[in-house]
Amino acid sequence: MKKSKTFKIQERRIYRFVGCGLVAPYIIYTIIFWVYPFIWGLIISFKKWNIISPEKEFIGISNFLKVIHDPLFWISFKNTLFFMIVYVPMVIICSLVVALLLRRIKFLQAFFASGYLMSYVSAGVAYSIVFNLLFSGDGLINVWLSNLGITIPWFSSPKIAMASIAIIVVWKYLGYYSLIFLAGLQSIPTSLYESAEIDGVSNWTQFWRITVPLLNPAFMIILIFAVMLSFNIFTEPYMITGGGPLDSTQTFVMQIYHQTFTALHAGYGSSFAIVVAIISFSFVFVIRKMVERDISY
Amino acid sequence: MFNKKQSELSGLVITYAFLGFGLIFMVFPYVWMLLASFKIPAEIYNRFLPTQFTLEHYRMLFSLGATGSTNPFVRSIFNSLVVSSIATISVVFFGAITGYALARIVFPGRTLLNNFILFQMLFPTVLFLIPRFLLMLELGWINTFQGMFSPFMISAWAIFLFTQFFKTVPQELIDAARLDGCSELKIVFKIMLPLSKSVTIIVAIFTFMGMWDEFLWYLIVTKDYNLMPLSVLLGLFTRGEYSSYPGIQTAGATLLTLPILVLFFVFRKFFTEGISMTGLKG
Repeated sequence: MKKSKTFKIQERRIYRFVGCGLVAPYIIYTIIFWVYPFIWGLIISFKKWNIISPEKEFIGISNFLKVIHDPLFWISFKNTLFFMIVYVPMVIICSLVVALLLRRIKFLQAFFASGYLMSYVSAGVAYSIVFNLLFSGDGLINVWLSNLGITIPWFSSPKIAMASIAIIVVWKYLGYYSLIFLAGLQSIPTSLYESAEIDGVSNWTQFWRITVPLLNPAFMIILIFAVMLSFNIFTEPYMITGGGPLDSTQTFVMQIYHQTFTALHAGYGSSFAIVVAIISFSFVFVIRKMVERDISY
Repeated sequence: MFNKKQSELSGLVITYAFLGFGLIFMVFPYVWMLLASFKIPAEIYNRFLPTQFTLEHYRMLFSLGATGSTNPFVRSIFNSLVVSSIATISVVFFGAITGYALARIVFPGRTLLNNFILFQMLFPTVLFLIPRFLLMLELGWINTFQGMFSPFMISAWAIFLFTQFFKTVPQELIDAARLDGCSELKIVFKIMLPLSKSVTIIVAIFTFMGMWDEFLWYLIVTKDYNLMPLSVLLGLFTRGEYSSYPGIQTAGATLLTLPILVLFFVFRKFFTEGISMTGLKG
């Protein structure tokens, strides 16, 4: 009895060491590639620095003030909001419809689910190339539309260029969000619908009273994903419009990229990134407060 | 009764019709891309189905090099493969051992680490873009393979998934292995991983896909055409030398898409499973 107890204590000590040893690579790696850059980013955001010169002058919060007074910051903000206003409702409605349709079928459900998911695996550069050509002035979509007597200047009109980008991003993520909705739908007990059916509740009321409230966690995740994505768009405008026409597709990340790697204002770019992170956090925070509900069946 | 059945049946037919119609929209860009890469230039814009096939675009892509003698596109596929594979192996390896320790071993600071991993996942990558680039400058890793993959070698998301799954493995299996004198590393890779096959595959394919598709980071840390992964090389050439050659662009886009599409068809079950998992976790 005594022997086994000392053995246990000894064993526990050994596993303490083993545990620390197993997480050590993660800790070391995180300090070098996460904590250190994080702090370094904070520090240089208070400095004026052009990467090349050894001089790093401390300038307090001037960089942050400059961000707030930068017209391109506000243009990017406006464009991001415009993107969100088109993207979020469109992708949520489309993917919810697909999920509701998928739930109704058994035969070929997996086939359709992976069919809709196919677009999700397309690389940013590749699908930007494809849609740039398809949606161009004399591209196939406009050739077809011209039979109806209309053509749409998808990426060349400053009024709708950002909306066109939102549409192609909807194409990419529709299947992905549908599957999140579908998982949410499948976790709703069917007994709820059965008893509603017996009580003679219409399908429409069932949808608004049962489905929508109980899908709250899925809505939450999708909203957060969609909002975070809106603040991080880069590849599509970089590849298709280069920020134009007339800055109508400038985004935050394009500005950060441009300021830091073309204009070499590392300090300014860093403050820009911090401001953008704070704004995106506030958005997520507000959405959580507004939308998140505790659900119980 | 008969009427109800009939209306149910017609409802089902309509459901399939809608799903099928939507699917055409989803698949159309892929089909168009593949066809366009084999079309003669005159037919790329205004015809959907080609009248004649050509391999010219692929030949151009592989024969012409910006640097003349060497062909950067062949190299770039190799570069993409190397960078993506190294990151994938590393993410799975370190994700598994860290997840095992966090799920199954009691050691000081465990709760703190668990919380820190969740905390880490909240931060957008855009915050790290500039300081990580400066770190690469300090280390002299600009224009190197390690510069491309080093920020992606350990993933908090992967550790989180492994931790969740390893919690469900019965303790008896671990105890028995320990009595047999198995080392902890052997327990992770001979017992835990084989028992969590789906989560391992999910972590691997999503990491590989993310690395293959990555654009912004590679754009920042590579300057040399011969070192660029396919995504960046194709992006730069599309905006530059090939901007008026839609055929070559679509051929490149097809090359960039195809490997991941193959991966998707082979592992499609795991893709859907992985996404449903994120859906239920929240």
